[in-house]
Amino acid sequence: MITTEIFSSDLPVGEKLSIKRTRFEPNKKIDKKLKRISIVSGIHGDELEGQLVIYLLADWLNKNSDKLTGIVDVYPAVNSLGVDTITRGFPLYDVDLNRTFPGSANEFLPGQVVYALSQDVKGSDIAIDIHSSNIFLREIPQIRINKEFSKSTLPLAKELNCDFIWIHDAVTVLEATFSHTMNSLGTKTLVVEMGVGMRLTKEYGYQLLIGILNLMKKEGMLTCDDEFITREAFSSEVGDVYYLNAPKSGLFVPALDHCAIIRKDDKIGDIVNPLNGEILSELKAPADGILFTLREYPVVYEGSLIARIFGENSEEN
Amino acid sequence: MKKIEILRIESLSRAPLVVEGYLFEGSDSTAPKVAIVGALEGDCILPLYCASTLVNFFRNKIDKEKIKGDILIIPSINHYALNIGKRFWPLDNTDLNMMFPGYEHGETTQRIAKKVFDAINGYDYGIILERRPDPAICLPYIKLYKSGYEDLKAAKRFGFKMIHHRTMKSIDTVTLQYNWQLWGTKAFSVICPHENQVDKKLASQINQAIIRFMDKSKIIDYHIFNGYESTVINRDTIEVIKAAKSGIFIAKELPGNYVSKNQVIGEVVHSLEGDVIHQFLAPCNGMITCYYSNSLIYENAVAFRIARIG
Repeated sequence: MITTEIFSSDLPVGEKLSIKRTRFEPNKKIDKKLKRISIVSGIHGDELEGQLVIYLLADWLNKNSDKLTGIVDVYPAVNSLGVDTITRGFPLYDVDLNRTFPGSANEFLPGQVVYALSQDVKGSDIAIDIHSSNIFLREIPQIRINKEFSKSTLPLAKELNCDFIWIHDAVTVLEATFSHTMNSLGTKTLVVEMGVGMRLTKEYGYQLLIGILNLMKKEGMLTCDDEFITREAFSSEVGDVYYLNAPKSGLFVPALDHCAIIRKDDKIGDIVNPLNGEILSELKAPADGILFTLREYPVVYEGSLIARIFGENSEEN
Repeated sequence: MKKIEILRIESLSRAPLVVEGYLFEGSDSTAPKVAIVGALEGDCILPLYCASTLVNFFRNKIDKEKIKGDILIIPSINHYALNIGKRFWPLDNTDLNMMFPGYEHGETTQRIAKKVFDAINGYDYGIILERRPDPAICLPYIKLYKSGYEDLKAAKRFGFKMIHHRTMKSIDTVTLQYNWQLWGTKAFSVICPHENQVDKKLASQINQAIIRFMDKSKIIDYHIFNGYESTVINRDTIEVIKAAKSGIFIAKELPGNYVSKNQVIGEVVHSLEGDVIHQFLAPCNGMITCYYSNSLIYENAVAFRIARIG
């Protein structure tokens, strides 16, 4: 296990910004080209679920180093300054790093950071970018896949022990993301969304750990008798995603505790006005399906996303 | 002058956000029309000031018959951010200028963008007063995307010293300028330096350029002095000078100044010991287009940009 600095910048007053990667390699020399997997998290400084997953993975690898037959690179905190300061974007510049790829060595500092990351991950066979939504939404463990790259990434996504695989259309603005950049550079890259910003969901962390180990075993990066039992994910190929946005501004009070299987017209929550005790809007499920996104942060404006449901195809949607 | 309500959004505890536009109807229905958008972000004092003084100009300082085509000015959209010193939409920190053309059933900022876009769509010309996105002090200039829909010739009518004719990035496809162009409006971004205090001289330069453009485009009949014969620059003509050391950054030359190769243009002072630990030398003859606006600089941060000459 070797920890390396992939980018550094001295800060103005007695401190250094450092972005680190730790590499795990097999104990014994193996006479073939080793596959490499890169696990990335913390591109958004307020998303911490990936930190737990990477810790669990590093811990497992430390205890099972004899089983490793590939290279594992972990980058727990790409936006390291942001992670330690509860800041989603790159501090000072107020820039979303996941809208700054591919960057270049000659750009403003955030562009140099993402360039350093993509150059370091380049050459990996697989990359997994772990996100935790944001502080507003709670997500069940899911994989987001760009249709443009789904042929190569969907088979991998199915191994990751997540509950839902969302294949979305190619959107030009998303070309500025890590996953699009890496997929374009030939690294099969998956985006995981799970949990909620600024918090850890231990259950999800363990769930994804099993998925990563399962994928690594299937790809020949682990050689062991351990069985990693995984679930079969629902895939958006066979249904539709329904969005429920707040029709009014107010305080959202959920009627459900967790993401769950729901029926059309089941109550999702109310938007209320604490000043006069009025219920401004009662929110009901627009379709049968799986509630895979649920509002966590209660203050909403008209349009704020309340929930996403994966259900059957409908022309009305 | 008519005051038009562009959008209204209620809030849990704040007063409603009401965005208004000021419409000055022209006397000639065949004359071109222009819409001007001011502060899209909260950290946009110069755009706000320029737009509001333009409202004042058209309201009080020009004869009505000199206004030929319709002029719509929206001085501010993101009052909620301006009022609490935030840059983006205060609840979720989303950037309104990454939400165009908007979506009526989408998230809050997509809905705001949609209502704004509906109000400004169909104008012949569009002017966006934009703050520079990175922390930099710059000359005011026109940013024009190479979108295939842009009108570089018309951009020269502002008479700014320079026009940055920029290759588009994928994220630029959700900006107001690009979408406005896509829907048939000749749109231009006037880039204002990132400053939190009003520089009246700079504001006056910007407003003169807008009035010059409107006169030359026959939207108004109000002649003022000519501006510069704008130089068109792109990434290939700009030298980037990065900070080899971190510390306290002191620029010694201002945007717009001409510098010679190897001239000292700035320095970095050790933030704890006070020594000058780095001097910036101009890598070429040229004009400084911008410098880093923060006094504390990170190692490798872009400190200056210089447009090459000679």
